[in-house]
Amino acid sequence: MNEASKTILLVEDNDDDVALTLRAFKRSHLMNPVAVVRDGVEALDFLFARGAHADKGAALPTLVILDLKLPKLDGLGVLKAMRAEARTSLLPTVILTSSKEEQDVIAGYSLGANSYVRKPVDFAEFLEAVKILGIYWLALNQVPPPQ
Amino acid sequence: MKIRTKATVAAALMLGTMMLIAASIAWADAQVRKAVEQRRHCVEIASALNNIRMVTFEYLLNRRDRARFQEQVVWERLERLFANPVAFDAAASKMLSSLRGQGEDSHRLFSEVEATSGAGSDDEVQRRFEAQLSSRMLILQQNSLVQAEQLIRDAGDRIDQTQRRVVLITALGLVIMAVLTAATAWLFRRDVLGPIARLELATREVAAGNWSFELDMGSADELGDVARHFDAMTRALRDAFNQLQVSNRDLVVLNKELESFSYSVSHDLRSPLRSMDGFSLALLEDYGDQLDEEARDSLQRIRAASQRMGRLIDELLGLARVTRADLRIQDVDLSAMAEEILSSLAKAEPERRVRWEIESDMRVRGDHDLVAIALQNLLANAWKFTSKVADAVVRVGTREQDGERVCFVSDNGAGFDMAYAERLFGAFQRLHHERDFPGTGVGLATVQRVMHRHGWSLGAHAALGQGATFYFRPTEQDDERSEQDHPAG
Repeated sequence: MNEASKTILLVEDNDDDVALTLRAFKRSHLMNPVAVVRDGVEALDFLFARGAHADKGAALPTLVILDLKLPKLDGLGVLKAMRAEARTSLLPTVILTSSKEEQDVIAGYSLGANSYVRKPVDFAEFLEAVKILGIYWLALNQVPPPQ
Repeated sequence: MKIRTKATVAAALMLGTMMLIAASIAWADAQVRKAVEQRRHCVEIASALNNIRMVTFEYLLNRRDRARFQEQVVWERLERLFANPVAFDAAASKMLSSLRGQGEDSHRLFSEVEATSGAGSDDEVQRRFEAQLSSRMLILQQNSLVQAEQLIRDAGDRIDQTQRRVVLITALGLVIMAVLTAATAWLFRRDVLGPIARLELATREVAAGNWSFELDMGSADELGDVARHFDAMTRALRDAFNQLQVSNRDLVVLNKELESFSYSVSHDLRSPLRSMDGFSLALLEDYGDQLDEEARDSLQRIRAASQRMGRLIDELLGLARVTRADLRIQDVDLSAMAEEILSSLAKAEPERRVRWEIESDMRVRGDHDLVAIALQNLLANAWKFTSKVADAVVRVGTREQDGERVCFVSDNGAGFDMAYAERLFGAFQRLHHERDFPGTGVGLATVQRVMHRHGWSLGAHAALGQGATFYFRPTEQDDERSEQDHPAG
């Protein structure tokens, strides 16, 4: 695995949430490069190396952190497209969102999300959650071999 | 025409026919009796006439006194018979009176013959006169006998005729009754059985939900009335059902809107709070050393308020969820549930010393998840409001109240003034200060909502400083009733 594959893809449209998540990564000492995309279509462009991301190369991120409420194509739509494509069908994907609506959780898992984490309002709790996520998905978890 | 009228007419016709037959039989009986009587009478007359003839012959041949005497006796008998004539019509009585006249003539002639012979003269003139008288008398007697025979025959004919007439009338009556019976059966089929079959079909159709079924029976009788009432009822039901469907559609739309509203709230309202809390903390962490105590306190307050707002939103969403959720009625073990909740409360606050008593084997029929939410809220309240008493006790059990079994959760904590009890179950209503007992005021509103969904009643009893008791009546009910209560769920 090369360096590019250590990238975390953060799919998040809210600037504040991007800033807070990046801050949480930093404070959790997660050193992985983070690529941020702002909507569902851009997320798929990034993953499938097309459109604005056509020249980036075919390397996949090591983890996708996906918000559900996104402009253009929402998080569930992104997840569905990812799982339909052989290359990204096993890519570890964590849904990180405000909602804990039952329908979202069920839909997320049915479409093949690996985790569903709710963003707490309390930033201290959020920090804790990101830290655990990082340890689990970037250190403990054995990623599937590239397809 | 009403069925009642038709039935009355048919019964009257039947009865009339039967009475006609009975009357004709009675009439025939009287006729036959009369004819028999007349025949007997005539037979007697004929026999008497025959006797007179015999004695007359004997007298004319032998001139004996015994014969003369006998003629007198027979004549008297004949006279008695003529004195009480038995006749059934004018012709017969005319014939009888003619017979009587002939009898009298014959008797007079007999007397004359007797007188002539008694005179003892023996001349030719006398003999010829006597012979003439005798022959006239014999002819008369012969005539009478023939007429009497005729009367006997007439009576016999009359009997035969009457019998034939009775047979005819009875047969005719039976035919009329058969026709009437057939007509009645046909009318019964057409006017009663047919409509009843239609009604039966209609009740089945309407019961199966075919609201557009109409009998539309034009008949003016009682069953026609029933059919018209039935149609009216179906129409009323259909209208009510349609209205219900419209309201139901509205409710479904409303519920959808509420759902999307909750969804938006869940996603969008919390996000700014996260920013407020996160960036306040960032300020504190990054620039805390450059800020004075007051500035740090302000930032802490912003954080506390954001977090509180987050909790409020969560609890409101929880309340909405309780309203929306579908009920899945099953057996719920309240005792085990209470034990589990209290244990987890104790685990979360290990420094608290709270004693609890739970009645064993308390079971209710309800939705497991919703009942758990209600019990969680009640026990968390009991836990919270006993935080300032030394010997905290929480009790969960059942007791009789107004003849019904109620479940209760009681504590010996802060309690509340019953004067404010009506505000207890409203959302965001609080009877204590936040600094004494933290909370959002949504908990009891949620409990109330759960009870309402189940159709259970919820009540409370408390006194300030003497603890509070919340009780609910878990009435048995079928699953359908709960769903009717919540048509758009």
